[in-house]
Parts: sequence; structure tokens; C-alpha cells
Amino acid sequence: MTLTYVLMQNLKRNPLRTALTIVAFALPMAVFVAAISFVMLLARISADNERELRLGVHHRITLTNSLPDGMRRKIEALDPKGERLLAVCGMRWFGGRVPGTQNTLTSLAADADTFPIVYSDVDMTDEEIATWNRDRTAAVTGKGPAEQYGWKLGDRIELESSVPPYMSLEFRIVKIIDRAERANFFYFRRDYLNEARERIGQPDPRCNIFWIKCKTAEGLRTLQAEIDATFANTPDATKSEDENAFAANFTQASGDIPGLMQVAAIVVVVIIALVAGNTMMLSLRERMRELAVFKAIGFQRGRVFRIVLAESVLLALLGALVGVIPTSIGLALFPLKMLRMGPIGQLDVSPIAVLVSMVIALLVGIAAGLWPAYQAQRLNTVDALRRVA
Amino acid sequence: MALPISYHWRNLFVRKTTTLLTILVIGTVVGVFSWMIGFASALDRSLSVASERQKLIVLKRGATSESNSAIPVEDYNRLNQLTQIAHDPTTNEPLLSPEMMVQVSLPRIRDGGRTSGNVAVRGVTQTAFAVHLNVRLEGRRFSEAEPQVIVGRAAAKQFAGLQLGESISLGFGADRPFRIVGHFSANGAPIESEIWGYLPALMNAYNRSMYSSAWLRLSDGANPDEAIERIKGPAIQLEAQTEAVYWDAQSAAIRRYLLVAYILVTVMALAAVFSIANTMFAMVAGRTREIAMLRTIGYSGRQILAGFVIESVFLSMLGGIAGCLACAAWLELVGSTKDMFGATTFTTMAFDIRLTPGTAAAALLLVIAVGAMGAFVPAWRASRLGVVSALREP
Repeated sequence: MTLTYVLMQNLKRNPLRTALTIVAFALPMAVFVAAISFVMLLARISADNERELRLGVHHRITLTNSLPDGMRRKIEALDPKGERLLAVCGMRWFGGRVPGTQNTLTSLAADADTFPIVYSDVDMTDEEIATWNRDRTAAVTGKGPAEQYGWKLGDRIELESSVPPYMSLEFRIVKIIDRAERANFFYFRRDYLNEARERIGQPDPRCNIFWIKCKTAEGLRTLQAEIDATFANTPDATKSEDENAFAANFTQASGDIPGLMQVAAIVVVVIIALVAGNTMMLSLRERMRELAVFKAIGFQRGRVFRIVLAESVLLALLGALVGVIPTSIGLALFPLKMLRMGPIGQLDVSPIAVLVSMVIALLVGIAAGLWPAYQAQRLNTVDALRRVA
Repeated sequence: MALPISYHWRNLFVRKTTTLLTILVIGTVVGVFSWMIGFASALDRSLSVASERQKLIVLKRGATSESNSAIPVEDYNRLNQLTQIAHDPTTNEPLLSPEMMVQVSLPRIRDGGRTSGNVAVRGVTQTAFAVHLNVRLEGRRFSEAEPQVIVGRAAAKQFAGLQLGESISLGFGADRPFRIVGHFSANGAPIESEIWGYLPALMNAYNRSMYSSAWLRLSDGANPDEAIERIKGPAIQLEAQTEAVYWDAQSAAIRRYLLVAYILVTVMALAAVFSIANTMFAMVAGRTREIAMLRTIGYSGRQILAGFVIESVFLSMLGGIAGCLACAAWLELVGSTKDMFGATTFTTMAFDIRLTPGTAAAALLLVIAVGAMGAFVPAWRASRLGVVSALREP
């Protein structure tokens, strides 16, 4: 009689309980694998951002206070030989929306010459850069709006700005960005915006933020301190932050979704541990006499221990599989794009997340089975045989 | 005669470990659930307070919120043509309030200042207090001669440095100290998350020559839709919304966030149903002979079915109470404040999450539903037990 055989018999004995436990385990595991995928997606974005070595310089008080665009030259002058900084790209908030809709896109006007260098991770090909340089109406969009509004390469589209002077501009899509972290962004050329403003007699070539592509992490840190020191005590005092610190300002304000996901993951682990523990206690109680019989016919204590523990682990792994696989397939087929919550729309379940979930399930299975297994092992054979169920 | 309640109550304690584990599963789900309901109801309360139909907000065409709206004074003056505006009964001034909105970044109290949030600073005149009727001052009103501000209750609770007597640096270069001379409440409306000061003083401090918005109160008989059309029309050419519509649009992002949270909790609540079903099936299976005996002495199948459902509801209520207590303890110890960006205001709306009796009642209702659902099938099976064969079982 092998361990596998005993296990299969035990699970089949009370198929209803096995099924209920698996479902009760699978549902929270489905949440877990989604939550952990999301946390991992953010960790990847954060690591990518760090590798990109971008430093954001904005007004010290708030992002809505604009800075003169001549500041770009002053920043470049801090490192004339280009030992630390590669390029500086000034950006102006446009806040465009598709006419007739309410959803404001994260749309920014960027310096045309340096945008492809500072945002090299947008992966524009030489040809795309050439089009961007040639066509003043060129725009680069993330996948989010492109999918939502059905934009394709070469399409002419119109956006209405939600900030003064509330202009309507026409753009031509020259690139659709394939990265989760830029899913909801929309970039176009700042000279195009400035010209349009001049035409209506309201020129204002100021910027909300300058993004600086640095060469080394060391260079980024020294530039950060130097820039803030240079502009301190002027009306345009600055605050410089790396991309992750900048993003963290918004994470809290959008409800701290990463925090929510982490709490969800912890709650789930607690729930499944309780569910698994409960089932094992129930089945142990029911099977007291049977285990006593095992012992009576000569099963060693260790073997009884292993039988109970292995059942708990097997149940946990089955439950996890039933939860994780449909979630992975479901998210791949129906992404959460309609939520329009930044990277959450690009969420898919990575193989590593599946692996992490299975390991967690395994650990929970072991933890939940330990006590019942210990109880089974130290069962007093004579007492248990005598007990009436 | 139904089975005595004490029978079910005492049955719960026959299997202590199982009962305890089930209570903990339910308690965990209910704890998270009541936190979320607390948040959602704080949001709803806030928005329902700010939903007077006779109160309009006027923005520049194309703007989506006060933060990105700029109304030149000459545009604002055209609003005086509007005949539907109510007038102050004593001074006979029109109830039309020019306002300016800027932001100041302040450190959050709940994480010790590690992160900051954008707090709205609103410049107002005396008329504002006649237009925003739910504003209640705690302390003094700001002076028009000196740099002073008053702070909304929710903002003071969420952000550091906003207590009475403290000073806050405002202005484009954050170089003008404004003293905090009073707090105000507004029945929990979103303006409780704001800082208010005297409009000309703030416009001067921020080098602004334009207003952001105008709030106005319509006379009692006036139709808001007609007034909105009039404001849109060729004579005025601005954009107006009722207060309710405006705040509803701003909270769209928060509602999406709540939707995600609801999905998570629903899945977990379903898991709790299965967990209870599991426990109840085991209870029924372990008491086959007992149930058969009850049938023999005259209890009907229906009474036994009801009995087991009651037992399960008891079990889940215990879990529900544990969960509510855990949630209350969490709010007390870890903190109950939360703030989120409005959709386009670029400023936060602060909430104070409270475990109100209503929230607790909602959580317990969920728990009763979960308990009854989980128990129904096992209880039904118990009620259909073959008496003779069950009595014969070992």
C-alpha cells in the first residue's frame, strides 16, 4: 500500500469535502495570484525606471507651478561636457481628451529633439524617430488610449486640452508604445503646442517638468543636489526626484493600490491557512479509528504523520491549481482595461507569479497539516479504537 | 415546537477547533469588508451632502475641474446678467461667489510625513459663506486685512501643520506665511478637505489675475437646467454644472478603486461560504445518529433544516462580530484616514473611515447571508436523513 494510494483513497472518501475545500482554497488563490502579479509588475516597472536613470525637475511647491523653458539651458550648463547628463527634455501638461469624452489622458508636450533620447525605453526605431522629427503633429501614444479609441499608426486624431487656453489640436500617431508603465501616456511635440499658442495670441513656452536622462546613478544623485541648489531662493526653486520617487507621489493619491494588493495577499494567505487547517482537523476527527487501525497493523508513527501531512499538502496544491489556472487564462483573455487604472489594465499572470502562488500553497498546506499530523502520530491506539465516532 | 436555541448554541462548542477556525475565516472576511463599506459610505456621505440642486458651479469652457479652470474677471462679470441668482435677504447682494483654487503639498500624518498630498487652497470672499451654506466655523473667520486662513476638518486630520495657531507657507514661491485662525466643518462634504483664505490676498500671493470658478445659488423657484443653458449661451459663454454632477464626476476614479476592492472581497466572501459549508457538512455527518434520534422523538425535517441553518448563522455571527471588532481595532490603532485624488482636480479628497452602526449592520447582514447559504445544502441533507438506517449506523 503506497502513500499515493492511501492519499487518493482518502481524497475520494469524502468527495464533497474535498471539492468544497478545493473551491474554498481556489477562490482566494485566484485573488492571490492576481495580487502578486500586480505587485511584481510594479516591482518590475520600478526596477526599469531605476535603470533608465531619469531625473525629474519640477517646481518645489507643486507640479502645477510652471518653470521657464530657458531652465533647460541652465541645467545643461551644469554639465557642459556631458559627463553626467545625456539629454534634457522639457514637458508641458496638456491634459487632452477625445472630444465628447470625460476621460483626461496623461498627455504631455515634449521637446522634440531630446524626447527619443530621454525616453529611449519607448523603443522608437530610426524610421519612427525620423517621422517624429519631420512631422510637427507627430504623437506617441501608450496602448491604453490606442485600444480604447481604436487608434492605429498613421491615424489623424484630435484632442481637446483641459487646461488654459483649452485648445483643440490635431495629431498624427507615429508610434504606439508597447510598455505597461507607459500604457496611459500620450506625448507630442512641444514646438507644435507653442506655435499653436502663438497663433491665438497666448504664447507661454513654459514647462511643468524637465526630465533628465543621466549616464550613471552616481551622476543622477550629484545632479539632483546641484540642480536644487542652483535654483534655491529664486522664484523658480526646484525639487528634483528620480522617477520612482516622483511616481510615489501619485500612488498614495490614487488610493495606494499597491498597498491594497499587499493587504489582499496577506489576508488571502490567512484565509487559506484557516480553511486548510479546518479541513484537516475535520478529516482527522472522522478518521481517528482508521488511523488507529493503521497503527495497530504496524504502520510506524512517522508514516502516519506523513500520510496526514501529505494529504494536507495535496489538497492545498490542488486548490491552488484550480484557482491559479483559470485566473491566468481569464486575465490573458479579458484584461482589466476598462478599469483605466494605469498599469492594472496591462496586468497578466507571469509564470513566476504562478510559481510563487504554488510555493505559498505548499507552505500553507504544510503549516495546516502539521498539527493534525502530530495529533495523528501520537494517537493512543487502544483509546482511539475504543472511541465511538 | 422548534428545537431550543440553547441546543444549537452549545453544539458550536462541541468542536472547539473547527468552530474557532471557521470563526476566524469569517472574521477575516468581515474585517476587510467592513473597512471597505466604511470607506464607500464615507465617500457617499460626502457626495450626498454636496448635492444641492440650487447650487451651481461655473467653469471656463473646456475645463474639467476648478484646478484647471481660469475665468478672466470680464467673463465672470457677465454672470451678473443671470436673472435666476438668489439674493441675500439682508444685504440684497447676489449670491454669486468668485473663487480661486490652487494646491499646496503637505505631509500626511498617517505615515509620519513620508509622503505628501496635494491639498486644495480656495480663495473666497464673504459671499462664499452664504453660497456654501453647510460650512460651520469652529473658531474665527479669516481676516481680510491680515494673512490668515481657515482649514477644513478633514484636511486638518489628514495633513500635518494645520492646527490652530500654526502657520502655513502659501504663495507661488511658498514664501508667504498664513496663520491658521479657525477650522470649519461642512457636514462631511468634499470642501472639508480644503484650506480657505481671502480671495484677493491669495490671488496676490499666487500672482493670479483670473478666478478659477464661480459658485452661485439659484433663487428658490429657478430651474437649474434653464440657468445652465443660459450660462452656456452666447451672452455668458461659460460652462455650469449642478454641484451633484460636479462632485460625482470627480469621484469616478475613487469609485473604480472601490470596484477593484469589491471584487477582491466578493471572491473572499465566496470562499467563506464554501468554508462554512464544509464545516456544516462535517457537523451533520458527525451527528447523523443524533439527528435521527431528533426525528424519532417527533421533530420534523423542516425544523431540523431550520435548526442547522440557525446553527450556522450563529457560527457566522460570531465570526462577524470578531471581524467588526478587528476592523474597529484596526481603525483605532493603525488609523482611519484615507485620501484620494479627485478625477481631475489634482487635489485630494480626505475621508475619515468610521465603523458606524450602519456599516456593522451591513457586515452582519453579509455574514447572515453567507452563513445561511453555506448551511443550506448540509442542513437539507440532514433533514432528509433516512431515520432507520441512520439509527443503525455505528
